[in-house]
Amino acid sequence: MSLAKWTVGLMAGMSMLAFAAQANAGEVRVTVAEYSAKTGPYFDSVKKEFEAANPGITVKFEVVPWDVLLQKLTTDITAGTNADLSIIGTRWLIDFVQQGVAEPLDSYITPDFKGRFIDTFLSPSIMEGKTYGLPIAASARAMYYNKELFEKAGIANPPANWTELQEDARKIKALGSGTFGFGLQGKEIETDVYYYYAMWSYGTEILNKDGTSGLGTPGALEAAKLYKSMIDEGLTEPGVTSNNREDVQNLFKQGKVGMMITAPFLSNQIKDEAPNLKYGVAAIPAGPTGARGTYGVTDSIIMFKNSKNKDEAWKLLDFLFTKEQRAKFTQGEGFLPVNKEEAKMDYYVNNADLAAFTALLPDARFAPIIPGWEEVAQITSDAMQKIYLGGDPEAGLKDAAAKANAVLKK
Amino acid sequence: MQNRFLPYLLTLPSLLLAAVVIFWPVWDLIQISTHDVNRFGQLRELNDFANFSALAADPDFIAALWRTGQWTVLVVGGALLLSIPVAMILNTDFYGRGIARVIIMLPWAVSLTMTAVVWRWALSGESGMLNSALIGLGLIDHNIQWLASAETAFPMQVLIGILVTVPFTTTIFLGGLSSIPDDLYEAAALEGATPLQQFREITFPLLKPFINIAIVLNTIYVFNSFPIIWVMTQGGPANSTDILVTHLYKLAFRIGKLGEASAVSLVMFAILLVFTMIYVRLAMREQRA
Repeated sequence: MSLAKWTVGLMAGMSMLAFAAQANAGEVRVTVAEYSAKTGPYFDSVKKEFEAANPGITVKFEVVPWDVLLQKLTTDITAGTNADLSIIGTRWLIDFVQQGVAEPLDSYITPDFKGRFIDTFLSPSIMEGKTYGLPIAASARAMYYNKELFEKAGIANPPANWTELQEDARKIKALGSGTFGFGLQGKEIETDVYYYYAMWSYGTEILNKDGTSGLGTPGALEAAKLYKSMIDEGLTEPGVTSNNREDVQNLFKQGKVGMMITAPFLSNQIKDEAPNLKYGVAAIPAGPTGARGTYGVTDSIIMFKNSKNKDEAWKLLDFLFTKEQRAKFTQGEGFLPVNKEEAKMDYYVNNADLAAFTALLPDARFAPIIPGWEEVAQITSDAMQKIYLGGDPEAGLKDAAAKANAVLKK
Repeated sequence: MQNRFLPYLLTLPSLLLAAVVIFWPVWDLIQISTHDVNRFGQLRELNDFANFSALAADPDFIAALWRTGQWTVLVVGGALLLSIPVAMILNTDFYGRGIARVIIMLPWAVSLTMTAVVWRWALSGESGMLNSALIGLGLIDHNIQWLASAETAFPMQVLIGILVTVPFTTTIFLGGLSSIPDDLYEAAALEGATPLQQFREITFPLLKPFINIAIVLNTIYVFNSFPIIWVMTQGGPANSTDILVTHLYKLAFRIGKLGEASAVSLVMFAILLVFTMIYVRLAMREQRA
């Protein structure tokens, strides 16, 4: 009989779950990504302040680790139990729009509200003339370098181009004692992006003008050869394909790596974990023609079409995008300001690290807005890993370009 | 009348439970895998098994299938070979046996994901414990990049798989060993049987049903085991340590091909079902003979 009891218990549990999933009137549920340990406390304080200012509306934040966010959203949407608002990677937005999951926000947006945003960051969330998301987080990439290692190796300035970077890496390698010139990421999220930095310098874009993959172009090959030659010469950390972004950042914090390319949040981490590290932030090295590119990323907060509390949800969005709230969030997480007024605050104007990032914004590329982008990124990462492990760059890229083109044609 | 229906009535609750937790998801998988489906699982039209034929044409899937076979055989086989002597030692009476048993069982108490995370740190090339230990012992003179390529990563994953499978297997064997009466050994010893002969003629044959159950259960667990490989390499670099579950996860939640992922899942289900049926048949026939 105990099984029957279990069955009854299970049924009861499931019906309670179903009940809990039903939104109460005036309740706004929001799925947010956990960017750092500061994300949860920030949204707790938002809840308190917003609910105090808006009696009758309750807010429920579900903080989800970034790695499982897409999986959670997929299962929630499939089951129809998604929240009212959610943070998503802007590169996923096209899928949400095409499947009719995201609600256009234009009927809520006043010209005054729109004027709060820096256009570069708002534009990736606009599709077919409609605004489907608001940039909650924005970031770009720049090159960090270890000033102490540079001094020891007798290097005055950060490298302006890849040739100089290779020379500097040689000098840092010559210091011995477990120091590596250039930190190269070869595992997990953004492995493909780390390759694009070099690829953009050689004038190749992710997509050619005709919409095919750029991986088949001579520029892409030059970039792959550049990284491979640096691995072969021992200018990178050993075991590139076992190091994800955090691993390389950790090596940098330990003072073992001379240069690496990553996001502004590394500055915050260094402040907390390695306050004595002397480092600088510089532009991403340029290619032979002077071309260069950085990766711009925004995450958007979207409203779901099936939300029952859209007006309340919009009130929360309006609150989240005030200058004070933006400043608190952005500075805590180490992102770039998306709000014009916020960007004029002393914190940003007097911050040399952030200035290096904002200076690169004119060269920023965002992930292309195409369905199947995640698959193309995966194909590129896989191809790079094969090349980093010793595979032939030409054959690897040709194969990857063919695979990517097959996806792009669909 | 009452006697004929009572057994069915008594199994009905568990059958209902099985229907909810097994048949319903499988039915759902069949639906998704035979339809054209968007990334949020909404079904469109039937697509003539295109999801299955896409798998057959995908070299990554074939490689993962083959690797899953290696992974399962090596981990289950290794765990069996290791667990029999461990269980026999733990079955003898010695000072501190209680502590020894606890130590063997400990890996079982730690979550698999946590074990894998700890090993990922330990195997880190520049700051990993294993490299510093090996250098300290003078066994190697430069850091080995354990997780950088499949040649070193996959064997390490198999070893960790064995390590975490041993406690469960040992528990089964300890139960089996304690069911063998001591007088059999006493009689054999009186007749002059060596320990090896005792093992071959008494322990092994009487342990066989327990070995069979250990093989079936472990095969099912290991075949479906996700955390070790996912945490350490995510099936990489370049899919070279992918097994079917990690391949499936990437298909479904990275790339958003829910249809193909469901097809992989059904293939896995079919393989396990066929394996279990054949194996149980063989094992039962042997026992009857």
